[in-house]
Parts: sequence; C-alpha cells; structure tokens
Amino acid sequence: MIELLARTITMGTPLLYGSLSEVYAERSGVMNTAIEGIFLIGAWAGFVVAYQTGNNLAFGLLAASGAGIVMAALYGWICIYLKQHQIVTGVAINILALGFCSFFQRVIFGVPVTPLIVEPLQPIAIPVLSEIPVIGPILFDQNILTYLLFVLVPVANFVLFKTSLGLAIRSIGENPEAGDVAGVRVDRLRFLTILFAGVMCGIGGAFYSIGYLGMFTITIIGGRGWIAFAICFLGNWKPLGVLAGTLIFGLAEAVAIYMQSSGTSLFPNELFIALPYILTIVLTVARRSFNVPAQLGVPYRKEG
Amino acid sequence: MSSKHRDLLVTNVLAVLAGLAVSGLLLLFLGEDPVTAMGTLFGSLLRDSYTFADIFVKATPLMFTALAFALPFQANLFNIGAQGQFYIGAITAAGVSLSLQGRLPGVLVLVIAAVLTILFGGLWGGLVGWLKAKFNANEFLVSMMSNYVALAIMNYLLRTFLMETKGEYPQTDPLDKAVWLPTILPGTRLHAGFVLAVLACVGIWVLLYKTPLGFRIRAVGQGKDAAELAGINYRTLYVLAFFVSGALAAFGGFTEVNGAQHMLVQGFNPDVGAAGIGIAILANGNPIGIIFAAILFGALKVGGTIMGQLSGIPSSITELMLGTVMVFVILAYFVREKLEDRREKARLKKAVSA
Repeated sequence: MIELLARTITMGTPLLYGSLSEVYAERSGVMNTAIEGIFLIGAWAGFVVAYQTGNNLAFGLLAASGAGIVMAALYGWICIYLKQHQIVTGVAINILALGFCSFFQRVIFGVPVTPLIVEPLQPIAIPVLSEIPVIGPILFDQNILTYLLFVLVPVANFVLFKTSLGLAIRSIGENPEAGDVAGVRVDRLRFLTILFAGVMCGIGGAFYSIGYLGMFTITIIGGRGWIAFAICFLGNWKPLGVLAGTLIFGLAEAVAIYMQSSGTSLFPNELFIALPYILTIVLTVARRSFNVPAQLGVPYRKEG
Repeated sequence: MSSKHRDLLVTNVLAVLAGLAVSGLLLLFLGEDPVTAMGTLFGSLLRDSYTFADIFVKATPLMFTALAFALPFQANLFNIGAQGQFYIGAITAAGVSLSLQGRLPGVLVLVIAAVLTILFGGLWGGLVGWLKAKFNANEFLVSMMSNYVALAIMNYLLRTFLMETKGEYPQTDPLDKAVWLPTILPGTRLHAGFVLAVLACVGIWVLLYKTPLGFRIRAVGQGKDAAELAGINYRTLYVLAFFVSGALAAFGGFTEVNGAQHMLVQGFNPDVGAAGIGIAILANGNPIGIIFAAILFGALKVGGTIMGQLSGIPSSITELMLGTVMVFVILAYFVREKLEDRREKARLKKAVSA
C-alpha cells in the first residue's frame, strides 16, 4: 500500500510539471496544445545528452529544458504572434516533434544492438523526514524533480493569485483589451508563459526518460502530455486543483503498473493500460462547473 | 480562378516545397547529398508501375482519416480520434471477414464487413459527439483519449480472440482471397478501396456544399448560437457529424485490411490519424483538395521507404517531412491572411479616392 502511494507521487510528478505550466499558459489565454510534442522532445533531448555525456543527468535536464523552450517558442511564435489556430498548430508541432525525434534517434544511434540505457535519477531519502512512518517513504524518498515540486506548487499558486504578475496573466486571459490599456504587453506575456511551459514540459518529458525509466523509445510519452493537458481542465485552472488531479492520475498509473506486475489474470492488462485514458474521458464528462478563461484560444488582435 | 484560390494554390505549393527543402537540409547531418536523396525519393516512384500504384494504395486510408477530421472541422468540432476509429474499423473488418469467410460468398462477406465497419466506427465516433452534445464534454480531449482506448482494445483482441492460429505473433490469420477487395490494376496492389476513397471525398464535398444538411453543419461552424436561433439543433448535428466522421475513418480501416494488408497486424499504420489531420489542413478542409493532398503524402511515404532501402537514410525522414511541411502550411495560412488584408486595403483606398 505504501509502495503504491509512493509510486502515485512518482508517476504524478511529470504530469504536475505539465499541468502546472498549462494552468499558466491557459490563464493567459493560450492553450499549449504542443504539450505532447514538447514532452517528447524533452524526453529525447534529455536522454541523448545524458547518454552522450556519460550519464550526466544535470546536462540532460538542461538539454530537455532547452529543447522544450525551442519547441515552445516555435509554437508560441505561430500562435501568438502570427495568430494561427492553436489546435491545428499544436497538431503540426506534435507531428514535427515525433518525426524529429525518431529521425535523429536513428541518425545518432543507428540501429543499436543492445538497448541504450542510462542510470536514471535515484531517490534521495531525506534524513529524519523519511523516517516518519507512512508519510516518510511516500513523500520523502523521491527523486529531486519531485522535491522541486514541493516548492514549485505553492510558489506557482502564490504568484498566480497574490502578485501583480499573476494578476496580469489572469487579466489577459479574461480581457486582453483591458490589460493592454493598463499597460500589459499582451502578446509578450503570453509568449513568456508559453516559454515557461516549454521548460516545465521539457523537464516533465525528461522525467520519463532519465528520471524514471533510464531509456528512450518513441512511444515513451504515449499521450501523457495530453493527460497533463486534461488535468489542467479538470483542476479548474488552479495550481492546487491540478495538484489534486495529478494525484488521481498518478494513482491510476500506479495501480496499472501494480496490476500488470502482479499478473492477475482476472482482468486483461490492456484494461489497466487504458485506465488513465478512460479516467480522463469519464472525468471530462463528469466535470460540470468550469472556470474557463474567457479568451482561451483566441488570439489577441489589436484594433486599427 | 479567383485571387483567393490562386493564393491558396501558390502559397501551399511553396509551403510544401519549403517543407521538403528544410527536411532535405537535415540530411546533411547524415552526410548525404539532399539533392541526390530527393532525386532518389521522387525518381524511384516512377521506376515501375507497381511502385507508382503503391502511391495510391498509401493515399487510400489517408483520404478517409483526412475526411474524418475535415467534416467535423466544418462544424468547428475537433476529431483527433481518427487513429482509434481507424483501428476500430480494422478490427471489425478483420473479425467479420475471418469469421464469415468460407461460409458465405466473398462479395456478401465484404458487404457485411463494410456495413458493420460503418456501424461500429460510427458508434465509436458518435459517442464522442454525444458526450459533447449531452454533457458539453471537450470533444478534443475525449476523441484524443479514445485513440488510446481503441489501441488497447486492438492489442487485447490480437492477443486473444483474433490471434493467429499459430499463436506466435499478435496478428490475425491471413484473409481468404475471396474476401479481398478486388485489384483494379493488374500486377499492382491498387485495390477498389482507392475508388471508394475518391468517391467518399466527392460524396462529402456534395454533402457539405450541396445539401441542406451540409449547410447546417457549416452554419454551426460559423457560430452555434446563431445557428440555433435559425432553428438548427446543433446538438443533433454534433452527434451526426461525429458518427459520419467515425464511420469514415473506420471505413479506411476496412479498405486497408481487406484491400492492402489482408490481415490485421499489431500497431499497423500508426500515423494514419495524424497524417490525416495534416492532409486536411493542407487541403484547407476541402474534400476535393484532400484527394490531391493525400496522393502527395502517399508519394512521400512510398518514396521515403524506398529511399530508406536504397541508401542509409532512415525512413522516419517521411515523418520529419510531414512535420516540417505542416508547419510551413500553417505559415502559408498566415501569408494568405496578409495577402487578403492587403487586397482589402487596396480596394478600400480605391473606393475612397474614386
């Protein structure tokens, strides 16, 4: 049971990186529909650099954020500055990321004889805290990326709701004209939230390759970027809401992994693999009261 | 040709060329000469009729999945679930064919398989539309997630009920020749599914632009509240549009299984859904344009695979091309907006000075 909950936290970590940044992007009025592609390129860049630098995971994470920013910048440029359709552009960027990663994976590594692996991030047991019964092994025996979130979530919540920056972000998602008149540079701030999403989603993706599995395959993300995207909706565009959402999905993934490894034949494995996706559909349908930013998905065009 | 149509053609041709050029330049990383490589890619298509016909074989499922995106798009709905709908169709087609072949005449089996494919694909897709209409669920997310569920269903069935009798690989037994879609060009793999795909494109064009139903779909796309004021029940249309869309993508699965693959293999055509969206965007959502865009993508796929065999260039170059071409096609939308803007301004200026 404790192991299951610990795994819930682990599996929820990358989703929280994704959905937290999605909250910021969508609050400013831009959906980050390139999220799946940014996750993928983060996972790939993180793995490649970690592998090539002799398992230097710090370089890997840096590369993942960098690759995420580049992808996000391309997406943001097209959607925010060129005012093109966000869902359509996102689809294009995701295909581009998929093609880019599978092509350059082959270019760099050819067809490897033995599987390419790196030693992933190790859990760091925090002294004293990890000794606490139940809570200790669940919360304080995780890797560094999870601990970072212990700080990031409250900070993200504070910045969004208690600072002028947060107010500016929220205002341009609701009423960009008013923000513009008040001196907020709408497109620039939206672009910055997308770049922030690039860093966060790049790291989220790298969590799968170098933070957990220690390898890269082209299907490594397998829709988890979209699940993070969904969590933003389900968490009602609030940092604490998405925290709750990621715990639910982390649990679903943990249960799926547990059921697969325990090898009960009562239900087919595929059912558990599909569980997080089915859960997304069910929750999307069940979630009724939405607090959706008024200008979500609408490019800001100045009159005149 | 109106200036709008000319813009569309010119900017899209330039976008495709730019996309190919950029992905060609990436070949320099491999130490390959891009010009030679592109020459191989397109030259190989013409080397024999079998290869040339394969372009149209590859284009067939792409037309269906592109239509599956384009039709709901006219109603401002996003169907990202074509991949899963395609798999549902493939499962149905393979299941029906395998269980009825030998017991009924081949033609009859094909008809039953086609009808059931449309039905199951339509229901699978229509479910998304129903959830949207009834619960205001986000159709983009629901259809996206339905892909993964369909994939899990297919993997499960290929491991159990549909698994080959040898029981070695996650794939079905081969289909009897009697239940294959007929070949329309002897000596090639080109099958009747291609004709059906072209007919589907023409049919959807007629539906959208020449029938009251198509008018209603497009009216909802212009604004569902205004459409409702005009007496259009947009909720019914949501379900209908997704039903037709799911049926189309599923039918692509049927033509692929009974026409080209003659069996169902785990994880086949994994990018047919995404490529379909790309084609629909390249064609600006126009069903007739989809025919040509799908043939272009088919050519890239066939040429890319051969190039991979002839030289050391990985065939995933085609996916990279697809991505770069799509990005440039979206930039072309921007260029067209600017051109239209400029024309509008010139017109106003002329009107003022006159």
